[in-house]
Formats: sequence, C-alpha cells, structure tokens
Amino acid sequence: MLADLFDPAFADSVARIAVPILLASLGGAICHRAGVFNIALEGFILMGAFAAVLGTFMLGHVFWGVLSAILAGIFMGLLFAEFHLRRPGDAIVVSIALNLIGLGLTTYLLRSVLGVSGVFQDEALGKITEINLPVIESLPVFGSFLSGQSILFYVSIFLVILLHYIYSRHKLGFWMRAAGENPLALKTVGIKPTPVKLLALVLCGVCCGLAGAQLSISNVSLFVENMSAGRGWIAVVIVLVTNGRPIPILGLVLLFGFVDSLSLRLQGFGFPQQFTEMMPYIASLVALIFVSIRRMKNLVGMRGYDNG
Amino acid sequence: MTALSLFFILLLLLNLADASFFEASQAFLKSAFGGRRYAYLYVTISRCALITGMAIAALIAFRAGLINIGGEGQLVIGGFAAAFVSIYSGVTGVPGIILAILSAMIGGGLWAVLAGLMKLKLGVPILVGTLLLNYPARYITSYFVSHPFRDVASGMPQTLLLDKSLWLPFIEGTRLDTGFIFILIVYGFVLIYSHRSVPGYHAKMTGLSIEFAATSGINIFSTTLKTLAFSGAIAGLVGAIAVLGIHHRFTDGMLVQPLYAWTGIVAALLINLVPWAILPAGFFFASLTSGASGMERTADVPKEIAIIIQGIIILFVASRATGIASDTKNKEEGN
Amino acid sequence: MFAQLHDISVNFGEVRALDSVSLDISPNQIHAVVGENGAGKSTLMSVLFGLNVNYGGQIFINDTRKTWATPSDAIKAGIGMVHQHFMLIESMTVLENIILGSEPNKYLGFLDFQLAEKKISNLLETYNFSINLHQTVDKLSVGQRQMVEILKTLYRSAELIILDEPTAVLTPAERLDLFNSLQDFKNAGKSIILITHKIDEVIANADHVSVMRAGQLISSLPIDGTSQTQISEEIVGVSKTKSISRKKIKAGSVKLNLSNLDILGMPQIGNAFNLEVKASEIVGIAGVAGNGQSELIEAIIGLRSSKSGFIEICSRDVTGADISTRRDVGLCYIPEDRQKRGLALGAQLSENASISSLVSKAFSKGPFLRKTKIRNFTEGLIKKFDVKASSPSALASSLSGGNKQKLIIARELSLESDVIIAENPTWGVDLGAINQIHHELLSMRENGHAILLVSSDLDEILTLSDRVLVMFESELSQSFCTEKVTREELGKLMLMKASDKKEKKKINTA
Repeated sequence: MLADLFDPAFADSVARIAVPILLASLGGAICHRAGVFNIALEGFILMGAFAAVLGTFMLGHVFWGVLSAILAGIFMGLLFAEFHLRRPGDAIVVSIALNLIGLGLTTYLLRSVLGVSGVFQDEALGKITEINLPVIESLPVFGSFLSGQSILFYVSIFLVILLHYIYSRHKLGFWMRAAGENPLALKTVGIKPTPVKLLALVLCGVCCGLAGAQLSISNVSLFVENMSAGRGWIAVVIVLVTNGRPIPILGLVLLFGFVDSLSLRLQGFGFPQQFTEMMPYIASLVALIFVSIRRMKNLVGMRGYDNG
Repeated sequence: MTALSLFFILLLLLNLADASFFEASQAFLKSAFGGRRYAYLYVTISRCALITGMAIAALIAFRAGLINIGGEGQLVIGGFAAAFVSIYSGVTGVPGIILAILSAMIGGGLWAVLAGLMKLKLGVPILVGTLLLNYPARYITSYFVSHPFRDVASGMPQTLLLDKSLWLPFIEGTRLDTGFIFILIVYGFVLIYSHRSVPGYHAKMTGLSIEFAATSGINIFSTTLKTLAFSGAIAGLVGAIAVLGIHHRFTDGMLVQPLYAWTGIVAALLINLVPWAILPAGFFFASLTSGASGMERTADVPKEIAIIIQGIIILFVASRATGIASDTKNKEEGN
Repeated sequence: MFAQLHDISVNFGEVRALDSVSLDISPNQIHAVVGENGAGKSTLMSVLFGLNVNYGGQIFINDTRKTWATPSDAIKAGIGMVHQHFMLIESMTVLENIILGSEPNKYLGFLDFQLAEKKISNLLETYNFSINLHQTVDKLSVGQRQMVEILKTLYRSAELIILDEPTAVLTPAERLDLFNSLQDFKNAGKSIILITHKIDEVIANADHVSVMRAGQLISSLPIDGTSQTQISEEIVGVSKTKSISRKKIKAGSVKLNLSNLDILGMPQIGNAFNLEVKASEIVGIAGVAGNGQSELIEAIIGLRSSKSGFIEICSRDVTGADISTRRDVGLCYIPEDRQKRGLALGAQLSENASISSLVSKAFSKGPFLRKTKIRNFTEGLIKKFDVKASSPSALASSLSGGNKQKLIIARELSLESDVIIAENPTWGVDLGAINQIHHELLSMRENGHAILLVSSDLDEILTLSDRVLVMFESELSQSFCTEKVTREELGKLMLMKASDKKEKKKINTA
C-alpha cells in the first residue's frame, strides 16, 4: 500500500506543487531580509499568473508569457515601493491594498479583455517547456522528482543556491541584510537603505511573477479566478518561519509539497476534499507554532506583556 | 492629485470593458440607490449593515493594536453556528432568533480568542494566526454543508432552509430586513465603548503603546483576549444577520465570496479607526459594491471594478495610516 | 589632515542646536570636545561626518572647501566616526561589518574576502589589536564592538577619527587600551576628536580641549592653557542652580524590601539582591548604565520575573504579583524611557494622566469613564507642575521632552504611593525643570514616602539621597551614608566589583 502511495507520480507532484510556493517564498524572503514587510504575495502571484496567460495568448508563445509575468511582478513591486518607500505607507496596509487590487484587476481583465468568466482556456496556450535529464530520470525515487519538470523548477533550485551565496558573499546581499537588520548602520557607511529596499521589491516581483507563470502556464494551461488560492499566504508563513533563509525555505517548501501531495492522494482514499484543502494551512500553522514557541523562550524573564 | 489618478484609472478600466463613462455611471447610481420602489437601495443598505458590522469588528481589534485579519473566519463560523442552531435546536420564533445570534457571537468570539491564545501562550503573531485560521473555518464549514448537514434535495452545498419563524422580519413598509437595526445598535454601542468605557480606554492605550499600557498596570493578557472576543463576536453577529435576515440558510461560500470581511477591513483603515465614521464608510463601500453590480448587469462592466477601487483608495490612504502595526514602522527606520 | 569647521549653525525647528561654531582640528593631536548633554557636540560632529546636511557655514579639509551629500563623501575624504551607539549588524562577522559599504570586489560584486582579511590583519598588527575576525558581532563584548567600529575607520584610511563618548560603557582595562590606541593613531599622524563629558579623561589624554555649551563654542585651548576647574566652570556656565538642602529626617518603617532576589536575564552574572528602602528616605543607586540597573527596576515594577527570593511592598509580599497589584499596594514609577513607557504619544494628555489612577478606580464609575473628573485632574497636574501644554486634550507628542517628563512625574506622584521608583528622572530635561523635579522628590521624602532613585548622574544621587549604593556588573555594593562617603570611593566602586573576587572575569568569547 505504501508503495502505491509513494509512486513516481507522487514524487513528480511534490515537485510541481513546490515550485510556485518556492519561488514566491524566495521573493518574500528577499523582501523580509531587506526589512520590507511585504505580505502581498497573493496579489503579486495572481498578477503574474494572469499576465503569463495574457502574454502567451496575445503574443503567441510561452516565452512572452513568462516575460509578461516578470513584468507584471515588477509592476507590483514598483507599486509597493511607490506607496511604502517613497510615500510613508504602512507595509501591511499597502499589502492588503495590493492583494485586493491583484484579485480585482485580474478578474476584471479576465472578463473585459479575454472575454470570459471564471476560467480562460485556449488551445493556443502552450506550456512552459519541460526538461528531461537523461541519466537522472531513471533514478528510483528522485527520477520523476528531478527530471521532466518545467524550466522554472530548475530555475528555482538555482535561485535557492544563488540567494544563499548572494547573502553570504555578495555586496548586494550584505546591503540587503543590513537594510533589514540595521538600516541606520548601513546609512552611516554611506549606503542609502531605500534604493536597496526598492531592489528587493523588484526582485520579489520577478520571483512572484514567475511563481504565477508556473501556476498558469506550466502545470496547467489556463487561468482561473483567484488562481493563487492562498499560496501567497503559505509563502508568507514560510518566510516568517525560516526568517527568510534560502536553504531552510527549500526544506520547508519540500515538506509542504510532500504534505500537500499526500493529502491529495488521500482524497483518492476517501478523505473529503475540504480536509485535504485545509492541510496546507494546518501544516503551516503547526510549523509556525513550533518556531514561535522556540522564539518566545529567548525572551528571558520579560513579563507583563503576554503572560498574564 | 489622488482623485485625478483615480479618475484616470477608472476611465482606463471602463475603456477596457468597452463601456462609456456616462452609461456606466448612470447604471452605477441607479443600482446603488434606486430601483423599483427603492429595491436596490434596500439591497445597498442591507449590504451596508454587513460591511459596517465587519468594519466595526476590524476597528475594535485594530484600535487595540491587534491586527486581526481573520474576520472572514470568525464571520463564517458565526454564520454557520447561527444556521446550525436554528435548524437543529428545535427552538423557534424570537427565542430561536436570540439563540441563533448568541451562538453566532460565541462561535465568532471563540474563533478569535483561539488566535489570541496562540499569540499569548505560543507566540504566534496575531496577523498570521488570525489569517491562517480563516482557512480551516472556511473548509470545515464547507465540509459540513457538503456532507453531514447538507440539504440534499436542493442539490447545493448548503443547509436546509430556516423555519420561517426564524427569519428576521422586514422593517414595516420596506423590503429591508431588521438586521440593519442590530448593526445600528452595535454601532451605538461601539461609540460608547470607544469614547466612554474603561475597557475601550484600556484597549486604545494598549494599541497606542503596549509598553506604556503594561507599565501602567493594564493587564495585557486579558485586554487582548477580551478585545479579540469582542471583535470576533461582532463578526459572528454579522454572519447571523446574513443567515437569518438575507439568505435564510448557510450556503458554502456565501459569506466569503462577497469579500465582506476584507471590505470591512478596508473601511476601517480608510477612516483611520475613527469610530463615528464607520457607518458612512460602510455605506460608501456598500454603494460601491451595489453600483458595481449594476454596472455589470447593464453596462457590462465587471463588478470587480469595485474591488479595484477599494484597493486603490487604500493605497493612497496607506500613507497616513497611523497606529496600525507601529512595530513594522519602527523596524524600518533609517530610510 | 587639517580640518576647519567655520561658523556652523544648525536649527532643529525652532531650537538653535548650533550657533556659529568654529573649530580647528590639527593632525598629531587628540582634540577633546566637551560639554553637557544637549550642548551640541554630537550635532557638530554629525555635520562634520555628513550625517546632517542641513547646516549653515562651511567645512574645510586641508584648506579646500568641502560639502558632503552623505557620510560616504566624508568617509572618502578621510573622516571616520566611531558612534556612541554602535552601528553594527549583529548577524554579520567582524570582518563583514568592517568592509560593509566599502567592499573589495572579486568579480560581479562577489567579495574578495582574502584581500579584506589581509588588509585588516595588517591593521591589527600595526596597532596591536587582537580580535577574531570571523566571530559574529552579537557575541562580542562592548569593548570589542568598539574595536570593530574603530577598525571600520582605519580600514577606510581615516586620517581624522571622531569618537563619540567612547568610554561610557568600557571597563577600566578597556579604557586604558583605548587611550593607548589613540596615542598610537596620533603618533601615526592622525587627528583624533574625542567627544566626552568626562573631564578627568580629557586632562589625562587630550592635547587640546574645546568647550561647548547650549550650542555655542565657549573656549578652545591647548590642554596646558586651561585647568580642570576652568573646564568645569565653562561647561556649566553661570550657576543657575538653587542650592538644594536636604532636611534631616528620621527614616520610618521599611516600605520596599528585596530579599535574596535572583532576577532573570541580568546582563552579567551577579549575586542576588538585598535592598531596603524606608519611609522618609531616598536611597540612590549609582553606576554606569548597562550594569543591570534597568533590569533591577523592571523586576521591582513587575516587568521582569525572578527565580527566587522575594519582594515586599509595605510589608506585603508581591513576588510574582502583576504590575497593577504592585501599584495598588503602593508603588509608582517614573521611567527612564518616557516615550515608550511613560507615555502613549498618540494619546491625549488627559488619557495619559488618568492611566495609573484608573487601575485604582479613581476615575471610573463602573465600566464608564468619568470624563469631567479626568479633565479637571489633568488640568490640576498641568498647573501644579507648570507643564507647558495647550490643553488636556493636546496630544502627548506635542510636548517638549522636559514637559513630557514633568507630566509623567506629576501623574505618578499624584498617586501618593508609599514607594516611588525614579529612574534617571531628569535625563534630558532643562535646568529649571531639573530643580523643580528635585524639589518635588525631596518634598515627597519629607511627607513620608520611600524613594528609590536610580541615576547615572552621580551629582544627582549625592544631592538627593540619604543613602547610596553602587551597581556594578549586576551586583549591588554595600549601602553608604551620603555624608560619610566620597565621590572617589563611589567612583572606584562604579568600576570594580564590591565583592572580593580574585579572578578577573572575562566577558568576551573571542
């Protein structure tokens, strides 16, 4: 029975589920570590997903779709920057606004520009190319996990490694960490924190845009209203739990992909659909609780604020 | 400057939908405030009740520094509780209505308190805790009305229809349900709470400066839980009103789809948590939504334009949002 | 480098922080800039360093006029600054912090750590420093952090190094090391600017001293041309202080009693606390900030828990009791951090004023507020303490620092609590208000209250207290009668442990 549960298709689905969340979490992490409290990932992803479909449909190839998704993400990032960096807007309020705008605008454009309600599907839409790795694909478990995935899967793994090294060995990584931990200190060595945060927002836009593209023109080939379906919030929680560190994010995302795939499988065994849909959120909550308990222990001795 | 940009964006959007500005605005006004024998106006006021209620719920929590964005979950739990108790408790008539409302308020309140306990005892931030609890609330109630408590005959994921004696009556001579009266009462209550009551004062001080409140002897633990309970209870009440007064049953998604909770949050943020302005803000957003529906029916402009407008308004308003999440502001100094 | 500040003026709103100040800095020299809090020393340096670009006047480096847009420009010109509050990234290593902002490139922005390490190692050798470059800053001692700040300036080839109150938080050994290093820098041709308010250090180490007061330059002389007395007088100016006299009163019963209190989370490891404060007496705790005073106060108030031992207020055990209980029994608190703990800046004055009393139900009728009573009470406080405010409904944020403090003190003292905890009550307050506050505390003492005064201002302690203890490395010394102890004895205790420990404690983990 166990073998039935964890067959190659399972490994494949873990990878597929993981990619958009991984990309969005990396984007969120970049903002988090640079000191920008961006919880508008839902809106960012949605815009990316819609732009990917729109671009592919109107310009004829998934390449344009991916490019549009990136541009849409950058657009959201710049919007966030305008109202949070240039104007003194609270990051949480700006995030709520952008989430709403993402939802409203994508649904609105779905109807007004693409002319449909609910779902947009078309033969003309393609899928992002999948890559088959010759030797790896015959590996027992990891074969279907590592091979045959969309380009973005490999891009996201690469991003994890890249980010890791950027934070530990690159000028920009240092500046972003400093902007997040102690912006005043960064200022005194002559670097202005605001442009650094702007960069973080743009990079976040790129990542979340790609996450959206993976959702709409990779695993499937369509756009559904509210396609991000809470994944942006999962990414927010993952960023908080890992404190924005790339490698723990990868680990947590894979764990999440595992749990999600498992619950989908369990549907086949009779578990009601709603319970499997709830699983990701319960899992995130549990992870968050674990980490929060540990962090609370570090506040040695203080009382009066929380414990009655 | 703001108004100008908003106007431009509106024009652009209407253009994309191939609608004329004149046609669209006519449809908007008629659908928000007109209709045969003011039918549409009643719908607007009805919506206003729900949105204002959710805005009040958000305001209560935000004012105390608690970023409760779990209004949706508390609303859904409350609505379901009201439907469930109404159908299966056997109590009818006015006592039944009261029982349903109380169950809804207790349900919503407890759901919010759950997030509060997670914060106080486990350290889970309120923002994330309340948000994450939205989803179990949504899915658990969805399961209930799709399987065990489903009205099989209707073929939809919803409960049975409520007994007529449990329906909130209309106000004399109108087609407006009395749910609106409840919200007016809550509105008045919250005004007194905010300006003249001791718990409201404690909550406000805690929201302005938690260190100051704690040092001065305010019990942060109980203030947090009491405020969240109050906030969640109001959300639950709104759910009860929707079930008892408008839909007369609980249908999967009926409280989530219209984005009542998020609109309420947006309304509370727009007025910068000033209590008296909640009612006008609720009415404003209700009109916005009703008008947008009309635009869709008549001028073929997708009703989501209302959501876009809400988002844009809040973006511009964000620059002066004070007192909310002052933590995040402090962390980002040095710019 | 020769640096000249010429006619520098800075305004913060209506306040004239600097008034046409001119200063000459020469190489091979340690130039001390002294003055009280608020004299303008830090403001002047922020102009020189490029942190403040809104000023009148000119800056000349080696006779060339310079303007800075950001600190980057000043750094490039050879000016380095070691700030009073360290500007370090805790999660980064020493090396990473040193190179931040001036990173050596290998390719495409990836850093050349080897080059950096070589360059820094050379510096360590030249100036005889010893530190682990790969240790993260969060594990460093205060003295080591300062060393990192100094290395930052040396790494960028600073020829003029500004140090802002560098010895405030150093141990005696660290202080010695610092001044030795400064001598090395001076001999290497650099100019050193030392901002401090410690005159004895100036006399011992500086070559030139400039005195500032209330935004103006009072004098600028070589060290041989002045004296400690002259400097002190110039710093304080014409004495405006009314002499405070403390009446001789017999202390009453014990109102605050700490017995073997082992507090959680003290900055250093020390013995448990034993302390008694009686009615009609002021007990002062002197000491350099950072030695556990804040934590001790928090434990007494109820903001911090303890492992063992007990606290009694008015003979009632309040160990483990919450803050409102302690206040009810007879405790009030004048906090050092008035912006965060003493007031809610976004609230009205009346809302701020009534908070403590609300706990004891004076301003409420059931669940309702008695608004008129609150308003009258607030007006009374404003009048009695001469708080400059437009009305009770004005926001607390509209008050000046001194007036904020006065309001807090007015509110707390109005509670007539048996025990008053005062934590640096006159920090950052203007002279006239300081006097008023001191008088109030003394009159509370005469009325039978027990007052615990914690202050880093030794003069304040000695003026007000009947008995004084010293806090050093999270331990309290024995109690001294103010009349019977000298400043020197207390000063010594502020720099070494009262309990006789033969081993030298190592605070760092390099």
